[in-house]
Amino acid sequence: MIRFDYKKPASIEACLDLLNYYQGKAKLFAGGTDLMVEFRAEDEKLKDIEVVIDISCIAELKFIESAGEYIRIGSCTTFAEISENPILRKYAPFFCEAGKSVGSPQIRNTGTIGGSIGTASPASDPAPPLVAMDSSLTILSSEGKRDVLLSEFIEGAYRTNIRPNELIVSIHFKKLNPEAGFSFVKLGRRKALAIARMNVAVYVETDKNGIVIDVRIVPGSCMPVTKRITEAEHMFLGQIPDYELHEAIGKKVSETMVGVTGKRWSTPYKEPVIASLVKRALNQATGIKENG
Amino acid sequence: MDKIKITMIVNKQSVEAEIEPYARLLDVLRDDFGFTGVKEGCSIGECGACTVLMNGKKVNSCMVLAAQADGCEIVTIEGIEGPDGKLHPIQEAFVEAGAVQCGFCTPGMVISSYKLLSENQDPSEDDIKEAISGNLCRCTGYKQIVDAVKLAAEKMKK
Ligand SMILES: Cc1cc2nc3c(=O)[nH]c(=O)nc-3n(C[C@H](O)[C@H](O)[C@@H](O)COP(=O)(O)OP(=O)(O)OC[C@H]3O[C@@H](n4cnc5c(N)ncnc54)[C@H](O)[C@@H]3O)c2cc1C
Ligand code: FES
Ligand code: FES
Repeated sequence: MIRFDYKKPASIEACLDLLNYYQGKAKLFAGGTDLMVEFRAEDEKLKDIEVVIDISCIAELKFIESAGEYIRIGSCTTFAEISENPILRKYAPFFCEAGKSVGSPQIRNTGTIGGSIGTASPASDPAPPLVAMDSSLTILSSEGKRDVLLSEFIEGAYRTNIRPNELIVSIHFKKLNPEAGFSFVKLGRRKALAIARMNVAVYVETDKNGIVIDVRIVPGSCMPVTKRITEAEHMFLGQIPDYELHEAIGKKVSETMVGVTGKRWSTPYKEPVIASLVKRALNQATGIKENG
Repeated sequence: MDKIKITMIVNKQSVEAEIEPYARLLDVLRDDFGFTGVKEGCSIGECGACTVLMNGKKVNSCMVLAAQADGCEIVTIEGIEGPDGKLHPIQEAFVEAGAVQCGFCTPGMVISSYKLLSENQDPSEDDIKEAISGNLCRCTGYKQIVDAVKLAAEKMKK
């Protein structure tokens, strides 16, 4: 176990002061579900940490609020709170599903959305629906505030552009149409070999003639940075949902993934699996029955 | 690194300790206070053997810093007992349904079942499976454990 001092600021302001004082020697601690594993493993990247700043009790970081077209979620909101929340269940149900799939009830009682974003695991479950909603983060430091798209904040696998004196305060996104189709599908458990883990979030909105007018397709766990696959989304816009079309879009997503990661040892396995997960998610979101 | 003084209410009793700032709640409960019913299995949040209630919520005590528990109310397996001070109906049910083999997972399983039954007197099979989904058992089939929770629900209605 790595050794450190412990501070528990009561407010955002007090937390920013501590971050400013300790700079790179402090580590923010929300639910601890990623950090406790890393402390125990004496992870190399934590070797300079002298102090842990426990933000899990800062009330200002725990909220889910609806403000006009937007929903804003405090960074210390837990996955248990997210998966049960009525506003999210209405306007972003695939995000609740993703939250509900994290770990176990115990993990969801402490693990937070801010911690998940801070870790930036490419296999994160909440990331695909959040990226699908073009979510942005609000980040504070004693120097000021910045808003940044989640997909730009995460720069690579386990890499973000957070600065040592910064705190993620909240994440926000536009409400989606509750009448539209949503789906989050997940394969494999976290501890399974990386090759066997994959997830996909999709959103499909159609007009009164059944024509697709908005679509988001975001596979997770298959690229260093989780992104919307716009090439595949364009194939779907203006079309009518259909089993064969979903199959073709699934193939497009897996081709795009291979284009980004190159051919790897895992490609022969991942390529068909991602294609079929995307197809399954699109079928689910549009109410088309899977055969078999 | 200076030690930190914490106060908690464990199983309805107020306790105090001086702890290392990096100590886990699991270690403080076991080593400082002797609540050795709280088990350490995987140490990384996977198995649920270390499950306790913290302010009424189920947590893995291997994933919580003891410093975080300052001022909190904790319930461990030692705090679960029947009205007569003997076995709690959940514990009786585990024994009667054959849900205990090596017993290592049992404290965590009982805490998860206790939490479930305190909120839902009539849980479905799916509710039970969900409630114990963060508790792994290497020996008993999960069927016996689910049966035990059903039996406990019956007993507690009486
Ligand atoms: C047994 C187990 C199962 C899991 N299963 C899943 C799963 O199925 N799916 C999944 O996606 N994840 C899973 N996880 C990973 C983990 O639970 C999540 O990544 C998430 O809940 C971590 O949140 P936390 O609050 O516990 O983070 P912490 O461990 O507290 O922090 C993680 C990182 O984020 C930083 N951080 C935290 N809050 C902030 C903030 N406000 N501003 C800036 N930086 C911050 C910390 O400094 C740290 O670097 C699992 C973990 C365990 C142990
Ligand atoms: S020992 Fe804590 S979850 Fe396994
Ligand atoms: S009885 Fe042995 S681990 Fe469950």
